[in-house]
Amino acid sequence: MKKLKKEHLRILFGGLTESHRVIGPKIEGGVVVLAEIAVHDIPAGFEDRQMAGSYRLVTGERPEIFSFSAGPDSFKRFLHPPVSEMFAFKSSRTAIAITAPDCQGKPLAFIGVRACDIAALKLYDKVFLGGAEKDQCYESRRKDSLVIALDCSYPGDNCFCHAMGTGPSVMDGFDIALVELDASFLLEAGTIAGQRLLDVLSLEEVTEGDMKERSSRTERCLGMMKKSIRTEDLPGLIYRSLDHPRWMDIAERDLECGNCTQVCPTCFCHSHYDFVRLAGISPRAREVSGTRVRKWDSCFSRNFARVHGGNFRPSRRARYRQWMSHKLAYTFEQFGLPGCVGCGRCITWCPAGIDITREVEALRDVR
Amino acid sequence: MYDKSVPFDAKVKWTKKETRDTFTCALKINNRDIQKAYRFLPGQFNMLYVPGIGEAPISISSSPLDHDLMHTVRVAGDVTTALSNLRAGDMIGMRGPFGRGWPLEEAEDLDLLIVAGGLGIAPLRSVARHVLKTHAAKKRDAHQRRMLLYGAKTPKDIVFRDEFPRYRDIFEVFLTVDRADPEEYWRGEAGLVTKLFDRITFDPRCTLVFVCGPEIMMQNSGRELILRGVPEERIFLSMERNMNCGIGMCGHCFFGPKFVCKDGPVFRFSEIEGLMGIKEL
Ligand SMILES: Cc1cc2nc3c(=O)[nH]c(=O)nc-3n(C[C@H](O)[C@H](O)[C@H](O)COP(=O)(O)OP(=O)(O)OC[C@H]3O[C@@H](n4cnc5c(N)ncnc54)[C@H](O)[C@@H]3O)c2cc1C
Ligand code: SF4
Repeated sequence: MKKLKKEHLRILFGGLTESHRVIGPKIEGGVVVLAEIAVHDIPAGFEDRQMAGSYRLVTGERPEIFSFSAGPDSFKRFLHPPVSEMFAFKSSRTAIAITAPDCQGKPLAFIGVRACDIAALKLYDKVFLGGAEKDQCYESRRKDSLVIALDCSYPGDNCFCHAMGTGPSVMDGFDIALVELDASFLLEAGTIAGQRLLDVLSLEEVTEGDMKERSSRTERCLGMMKKSIRTEDLPGLIYRSLDHPRWMDIAERDLECGNCTQVCPTCFCHSHYDFVRLAGISPRAREVSGTRVRKWDSCFSRNFARVHGGNFRPSRRARYRQWMSHKLAYTFEQFGLPGCVGCGRCITWCPAGIDITREVEALRDVR
Repeated sequence: MYDKSVPFDAKVKWTKKETRDTFTCALKINNRDIQKAYRFLPGQFNMLYVPGIGEAPISISSSPLDHDLMHTVRVAGDVTTALSNLRAGDMIGMRGPFGRGWPLEEAEDLDLLIVAGGLGIAPLRSVARHVLKTHAAKKRDAHQRRMLLYGAKTPKDIVFRDEFPRYRDIFEVFLTVDRADPEEYWRGEAGLVTKLFDRITFDPRCTLVFVCGPEIMMQNSGRELILRGVPEERIFLSMERNMNCGIGMCGHCFFGPKFVCKDGPVFRFSEIEGLMGIKEL
C-alpha cells in the first residue's frame, strides 16, 4: 500500500484518460450521477441527504473530495446499458444476414466504486460470464475495464452494507483501491493493470499514523450507519414467508414504477425487442430488416411473466414478492451470492418510500 | 461453438398437418459448421424466429437419431401462426438448443412410464422415438417395461395418431380423451390422463416417469404417482414459462430460484414440488 498526495489525484486521472473513458461521479440535475468526467467534475464538498423516497444535495462542511455517497447510478448503466443493440438483421427468402454490433469502444475506467457495488459487480460477472453461455458484449466491455474502488468515508442515510457483509471497506475485486484520508489517498493495486498505473505516480510510504486514521475512519463510517437488516435467518425467512400477508400490505403501497429495479446494482433482468425497419419490408420477397435490441426490463412489468394464454404473476403482490425474494433469497441458490448488497438505493428512489429493511423485519412478524 | 443469442438460418424441409391446430415442420440448419456443432437431447427446445414477427420457444419433437430436426407446434398467437404459414423451402431463424433434457441415462436399467397431456406429447415424442431407435439397435432387455399414457381434449386433438401403432411395438400405449365426440368412433378411455394410472400395473420401485403437459396435470400426476410409491426423485416434469433469452440472463423464466430455460425445462419433481404449490411464483 502506498500514499498519494490529494492534489496528485489529477495525475492519476491524466494517466487514465489517455487510454480509458473515465466514469465517475458528477452532479446532474441536483443528483450525483455517473458520467464520463474530468477530475474537477467530482462534486467535492457536497453532501446528500437521503430518506425513504427522498434525495437532496447540499453543500456541507465535510473536507473530503468524496464527501458524498452513492447516487442512483452504478457501473451497470455502462456494462449493461439500459438499451443496447444485439445485432442488425436482414432476412430474405433464403438467408438471414446478421451483423454483430461493435461493443468494444474505448475501455471504461470506473472511479470511486463503492464496496457494495463491487459485490454487485461480482454477481453481474456470474450472470453474464459465469454460465455456459457468455454475453459477448458484456465480456468485451468488462474485460478491458478498470475498477478504481473507494472506501466510504461516510455512509448514505439508507445504507446497510455492513449488515449484508459487503462494505463499507473494499476487500477485493478492484484494480486499484483508494482510501481517502485528511491529506492524502492510500492506494493499493489489486491487479497488474492497477499496478502499472501506480508505477508512474510519485507515491509515498504509508505511516503507522495513516493506518490508524484509516481504521478510525472506517469505525466512524460504521458508527454512522443508520439502517440494518438481520440476516441470520436469510434466505430461509423468505422461503417460509411466501404466503405472508405482508406482501398484500406492500402491494397496496407499491406504485409499480420499477424505480427500485432500475437503481438496483444487481437487477439484471431485460427483454429483447426487434425493431423492424419499415423501409426494409418487402412481403413479396420476404425481406425484412432491422435490429434486435436489448432493454432493461423489470419483474414489476405486468407482462414480464406473460405467456400465451396467461400470466404467471398477474398480481402486484406476486410481482413485488418476486423482486424481494430474488434479492434476498434466490440469488444465493442461483449464483451463491447475495442479491442485495445493502446500497440502499431502492429505498431512496422509491417514490412510495418502501423500505426493504423494514419489510424484511415485517416478514418476521408471524400473525 | 456458436453464440446462442444470435439466430442462424434454417430451411423448412417439409411441413405436415397433425390436427386441426397443430403441425410438424422439419428444419435443416443451413450453416455447415453450426450444423456439425448442433447437438441436442430429447426434452431440449429451440427458439424459432420468424423475422419481422418474433420468436417462440418450441420443443424438439424428433429424436437426435432421426434424420430430420422436427418441431411440432400449436397455433396460439403471432409467432406460432406465422410458423404455421411456412412452406417447404422457406427460411426461418433459430437459436438453440436450450435447457436440460430428459435424463435418458437414468432410464437404462429402469422401467419407463411416459405421461403426456395435450401438446406435452411433443418433447416426449422425442423420447419415444429415441427409445424406439435405440431399442432396435441394441435389442435391449426384454424385461424392461415401457408405458405411454397420453390424454388429449377430444379424439380429433390426438397428435401423432398415425405413429402410435409403431410405438406399440415396445410401449404399452394408453390413450384417453377429456371428452369423446359423439360423432366420432372412439374406443379408448374418457377422462383425465391421471385416471389411466388405474389401468396399468407397474412396479413403482423400479419405474422412471417423464411427465409433460399443463402444469396442474403434471402436479396431480406427480402427487398420484408418489401415493402409488414412486420415489419423487424418479419423477421428471417439463415446465413452461416465458422465455426470452434462453441462456439464463434475462430473468423472464424464473420459477422461484430456478431458471426454467437452463436449470430446466425438465426438472426432478423433488426439486420443485415445494415451489409448485405456491401461487403466482
Ligand atoms: C420450454 C418450452 C417448450 C415449448 N414447446 C412447445 C412446442 O413444442 N410446441 C408448441 O406449440 N408450443 C410450445 N411451447 C409454447 C410456445 O412457446 C407458445 O405457445 C408460444 O410462445 C406462443 O407464441 P405466439 O407468439 O404464437 O403467441 P402470442 O400469444 O402472440 O404471444 C405470446 C406472448 O408470450 C410471450 N411468451 C414468452 N414465452 C412464452 C411461452 N413459453 N409460452 C407462451 N408465450 C410466451 C411471447 O413473447 C409473447 O409476448 C413451449 C414453451 C416452452 C417454454
Ligand atoms: S417498490 Fe417503490 S420503487 Fe419499487 S416498483 Fe414499487 S413503488 Fe416503484
